[in-house]
Amino acid sequence: MTKIKTTMVFLLFAGLLFAQEMTGLDIMLKVYNRPTGDDMTANLTMTLENSRGDQRIREIKQFLKEMGDMDKKIMFFISPADVRNTSFMNWSYADENKNDDQWIYLPALKKVKRISSDSKSDYFMGSDFTYDDLGDRHPSQDTHTVLKEESIDGVDCYVVESIPKDEEYMYSRTVTWVVKDKWIGLKKEFYDEDEDFLKRLTLKEYKEFGDVIIITNVAMKNEQKNHQTEMKLSDVKINTGIADRQFTERMMKRGF
Amino acid sequence: MRKITKLIMAGSLVVASVMAQPLDFSGYARTYLGVLTNDSLDYAINQNTFNLNIEKKMGNVGFLANATMYQYPNSDLNFDLSELYMDIFFDNMDLRLGRQMIIWGKADGVFITDIISPKDLGEFLLRDFDEIRTGVTSLKADYYLGNNTLEFVWIPTFTSTLMPDESSIWSRTPSFDLPVTIDYSQKEVRGKLENSEAFLKFSGMSSLIDYELMAGTMWDDDPTMHISPVMEEGNPQPLGLTLTPKHHRLNLFGGSFSTEIKGFVVRGEGAYYTGKQFSALNPMNNMAIDLLEKDYLHYLLGTDFNIGETRLSTQFIQRAILDYDDTIVQDEMDNMMTFLVNRTFLRETLTLQLFSYVGLNFEDALIRPTIAYDIADGFEILAGANIFYRNDDTDPPSIQEMFGYYDENDMVYLKLKYSF
Repeated sequence: MTKIKTTMVFLLFAGLLFAQEMTGLDIMLKVYNRPTGDDMTANLTMTLENSRGDQRIREIKQFLKEMGDMDKKIMFFISPADVRNTSFMNWSYADENKNDDQWIYLPALKKVKRISSDSKSDYFMGSDFTYDDLGDRHPSQDTHTVLKEESIDGVDCYVVESIPKDEEYMYSRTVTWVVKDKWIGLKKEFYDEDEDFLKRLTLKEYKEFGDVIIITNVAMKNEQKNHQTEMKLSDVKINTGIADRQFTERMMKRGF
Repeated sequence: MRKITKLIMAGSLVVASVMAQPLDFSGYARTYLGVLTNDSLDYAINQNTFNLNIEKKMGNVGFLANATMYQYPNSDLNFDLSELYMDIFFDNMDLRLGRQMIIWGKADGVFITDIISPKDLGEFLLRDFDEIRTGVTSLKADYYLGNNTLEFVWIPTFTSTLMPDESSIWSRTPSFDLPVTIDYSQKEVRGKLENSEAFLKFSGMSSLIDYELMAGTMWDDDPTMHISPVMEEGNPQPLGLTLTPKHHRLNLFGGSFSTEIKGFVVRGEGAYYTGKQFSALNPMNNMAIDLLEKDYLHYLLGTDFNIGETRLSTQFIQRAILDYDDTIVQDEMDNMMTFLVNRTFLRETLTLQLFSYVGLNFEDALIRPTIAYDIADGFEILAGANIFYRNDDTDPPSIQEMFGYYDENDMVYLKLKYSF
């Protein structure tokens, strides 16, 4: 079973059964390398909530596929109405030194534009998730330490602190609670460049498709600004044999 | 006869299959008020717009109709059927037939290889990008080879650029010392097979580079003004001038590319045009009444990049007339730049943007700051300004000044838009 490096942060929250006495890096590599299927189709609903409780909804249809040493993803924006029919395609590579390739199709302009992928710290569609949060950050980019073992609501977890090797990275550190038996991240805390607590990611739901675990509901709360984003996956389909041609300029323009 | 029957039956099947699915409606309503900031404080625009997009897709066929109604105070409704087309999708090929907008190239706000859909310049370049082009009835066929596409476009009947009314503040008329009569008798291009337009493009998308190679045979969207003096027998001095707008045939080939280098998206686009008519000075009377046919090159180089959360873009554009003759009115080289700065705030609900064209030959510019706020999903309020700058004090401004010519048309405006 090959794996998909999806852009969803869900994938940081699953793992394999593992041996005892693993290092922080071992744990995060297991999470990173977990089986996720050859392809996936799903509807994504993002609910953005501000400090007053006002909500805005973003709906997306997405397709993901692993193709050898690269993963391809295409997203079609369904709502709100002013971004309807916009599509976004991302090709990411196993080679850590190679940047993602990204394109956006803007229906008003009726053309596909290549865009810079050098904006990982930008927030995705105004949500509390940065592009990097949604990406597949390789464990070798951070130094990992197992801080402790902890049980949360009866679920045994390893608590792993990850400190980026790049001092310019947007987070000074993250702390992840990785479930021992499932190897799913139960929660993750992010600290800003000043080492102040910034935001918390919480797992709300996951589904198992054979040996593939897909997180289907997570919430990210920005504690400094008191707003949050919930991401829900629905109508999830795994290994349906999505054709390679789904990830082309033709489909970006045509839609799903 | 049997063939015709089969065609009708096939067409009926396509229509029936399309109609079997529910329609998908979208569009927007918009109110738009602009005020000139000169002494007159006249309204530059006072417009209400309703756009409706009806779409249907089912399996291998699809249909789209996009219509816009414009309402102005004390005026009839203006109706524009922007697009109306059918799609037929095959495994490796798509066919689109009907009135459609076709956009080529990698340039932003500049038309180099993006010359298939005619432009609506009724408000100069100020319309939104989805309104500045008009649909054109055509056949478009795309054949796909992996990430490469071969596209053929055939336009049976030529449609010219829509120019502003003569009474419009955006009208641009050459000035002469003599009385002028305009003869429109040759402006229309008759709809017949030999007058059709055809374009071919081969494009590819890869991790390394996106590219397009294109060629076309077409009519010049902008009519050439043929100017002839009105003479009286026995009088060597002309009594007036007759201006006869006429479209001429153009051929072009060109291409474009886009790639990313260390976080910078680098774009280029260029086209070589043959058959263009340029106004030239008559050596006898020093009036711009002659025409010279010359080839010219039109190209740009641009880059898009981010600094923090701010998105920036700049382009350099040059049009060079080849085998230049000193009597040609236009400069041999016409240079322009564009600049874009864009940043969002408040979880992408507030957007500040500055876009500007800068003409380097005449040191003129169009500067377009905007601030847009999403009141709620689909509801947007936008305030902006269009500032025309010219460095030349000569009066009246030269018609060659692309932006400075409208120095008196500075305006501020407000738009409220609801998308559904």
